[in-house]
Amino acid sequence: MKTLSLTARISLLFAVAASLVLLTTGYFLTQVVDAHFEQGDRHELNGKLELIQNLFRHASSQKDLDRLPQLLDDALVGHHGLAVVVTDATGEIWFTTSGADFPQTLLNDCLAQPAGCTTGTLQQWKQSGTSYRGMAVSMTTGNGKPYTVAVALNIQHHDLFINKFRSVLALAIALAALATASLGWVVTRWGLSPLRQVTDMVAGMSAEHLAERLRDTGLPAELKPLATAFNAMLARLDDSFRRLSAFSSDIAHELRTPISNLMTQTQVALSSARDKDEYKEVLYSSLEEYERMAQMVGDMLYLAQTDNGLLIPGLEKVDLAHEIQDLFDYFVAWAEERGVSLAQTGAVSVPCDRLMLRRALSNLISNAIRHTPPGQTVQVSLAGQGDKATISVENPGMEIPAEHLPRLFDRFYRVDPSRQRKGDGTGLGLAIVKSIVEAHGGSIAVASSDQLTRFQLTLPA
Amino acid sequence: MHLPSPQATMKLLIVEDEPKTGAYLKQGLTEAGFVTDLARDGWEGLELAKAGHYDLMILDVMLSGLNGWQVLEGVRRSGIDMPVLFLTARDQVEDRVKGLELGADDYLVKPFAFAELLARVRSLVRRGHTSLEATVLKVADLELNLLRRRAMRAGHKIELTAKEFALLELFLRRKGEVLPRSLIASQVWDMNFDSDTNVIDVAVRRLRAKIDEGFESKLIHTVRGMGYVLETFPEEPSP
Repeated sequence: MKTLSLTARISLLFAVAASLVLLTTGYFLTQVVDAHFEQGDRHELNGKLELIQNLFRHASSQKDLDRLPQLLDDALVGHHGLAVVVTDATGEIWFTTSGADFPQTLLNDCLAQPAGCTTGTLQQWKQSGTSYRGMAVSMTTGNGKPYTVAVALNIQHHDLFINKFRSVLALAIALAALATASLGWVVTRWGLSPLRQVTDMVAGMSAEHLAERLRDTGLPAELKPLATAFNAMLARLDDSFRRLSAFSSDIAHELRTPISNLMTQTQVALSSARDKDEYKEVLYSSLEEYERMAQMVGDMLYLAQTDNGLLIPGLEKVDLAHEIQDLFDYFVAWAEERGVSLAQTGAVSVPCDRLMLRRALSNLISNAIRHTPPGQTVQVSLAGQGDKATISVENPGMEIPAEHLPRLFDRFYRVDPSRQRKGDGTGLGLAIVKSIVEAHGGSIAVASSDQLTRFQLTLPA
Repeated sequence: MHLPSPQATMKLLIVEDEPKTGAYLKQGLTEAGFVTDLARDGWEGLELAKAGHYDLMILDVMLSGLNGWQVLEGVRRSGIDMPVLFLTARDQVEDRVKGLELGADDYLVKPFAFAELLARVRSLVRRGHTSLEATVLKVADLELNLLRRRAMRAGHKIELTAKEFALLELFLRRKGEVLPRSLIASQVWDMNFDSDTNVIDVAVRRLRAKIDEGFESKLIHTVRGMGYVLETFPEEPSP
């Protein structure tokens, strides 16, 4: 099914709402008018009946009775649309005005029960295309003769009025619906025009122009958060793009150095005849470069996998204190050689992938040991607070300048660029730590003062 | 206990369609004392595996024709239960899981160190060939009592930490084999990833100081570019 456009929806809503309101108003107005007419009619009929009753009451002899029709005719003259029928006790028509062709039923009730028919009940009916409203009452003459008197009003003009009212109302509703729909259309178009403006701006953007931002001046308040959110997304994208292209050039750069070493070395070795040991030396040296490149490629692959969610951590409850102890067992000899002691405090268990977390912690601990001056201690502290576990790895040593901290977890980022050639790792260690921690739904933070550098992992416990 | 050089009669099948890799694997393993056959694609590999009696198959996953998984399935369907070590270029968990589920015994991710491959191959072919579990390991005048966790050299007791003991035990069990650092890290410390530190070198150096210092014949030797080996008579002096 095709989705209706917002403009169509709002226009439709306007039209339906206007029609409903007008229909309801019209219905109640008709009711009120009708009630008003009915009351008027009742009032008039009652008045006539009182007049007739008065005449009947004063007829106390046969002679008066004989004169009564004439009196009635006189009394009713000039009342257009009023019809009167009088029947006697036997139901015979005793008096009738012209055009009064009542249904007998109106009179029958009073014939059957003259006593209960002193005040008439208003009835309405239709006869040969004309509407009437009438009532019947029993009355007695001055000399006690019972008669039934029925009066009726031709209310055709009321019907005409109501019908006219209704058609005018229908027309008004149709016009109003049309008008509000068009109004809705116009207002919506107008109201949504900033959105189109935003769309146009967004449509004009491309990966090459990620530095552009949406102008949020002149945007309605509702759209400002959208523009702000979109701009924030652009900023993140821009940042990722920059990092990605920096990463590619970093890879190229990182690989270019060892490859160029290998080439030069091999070319020099081949340029003149050498003895066996010299060739061997070249091969050993090449092997070291190969190993470094292999480790870098391995690290990059690992990073790509954790970053792209290809390595999904298999969760098991791991006792971190035990894990740290294992890692210390591994690093202790190396640390002792550097004159660095290892210490751990606290205990906590977290659900995690043991291998992945071990790799992350190993990177952090080896990093800490490497940067600790001899005679000092690397401290690993574990703590659990509610649904979170924190692991902090602290080492005394030189402060990492604040401007480096946010980029410390970037790939190939080195605080001291000369470190690269000293063969200190691939420059991917901390990036891998971050990637692993994030794959576990955790986070990592680093703080550095002039005495102490602390990496803090937070993992869901 | 001195194991007879196990590979003397061992026959290996290499299934690898990358020409250079195949040639180097064949050369390296032949020089390490194995009898090797090389299949250039999956179909040939499966045929050879069914026809010849091999002690181990080295199987590349990405093959033309039949891929490694299909070869492995075919081999296992024919009721051949020789150990299979597969090589994969894609370091993916699913690959490993799939290979191991299909009945492979071990795997290596390319690029790998040749010493690592050699160590894995030896450990696989030795499986099923080792007889009773020894309680005392001996080489030259060095003796390791596994039950009493005690090490002696020339009648002198040597104090070792638990990890040093485990390291020495590994050396003794794999006597004469070059053990790459990654294998040592994984076997002794259960660290299954490359570290950019020289932790293993330090640990081996310390162990060496305890068992070799003051003795005329050195047992633990560095093999440059490969790893470490425990040998009574080194084939070449360590540079």
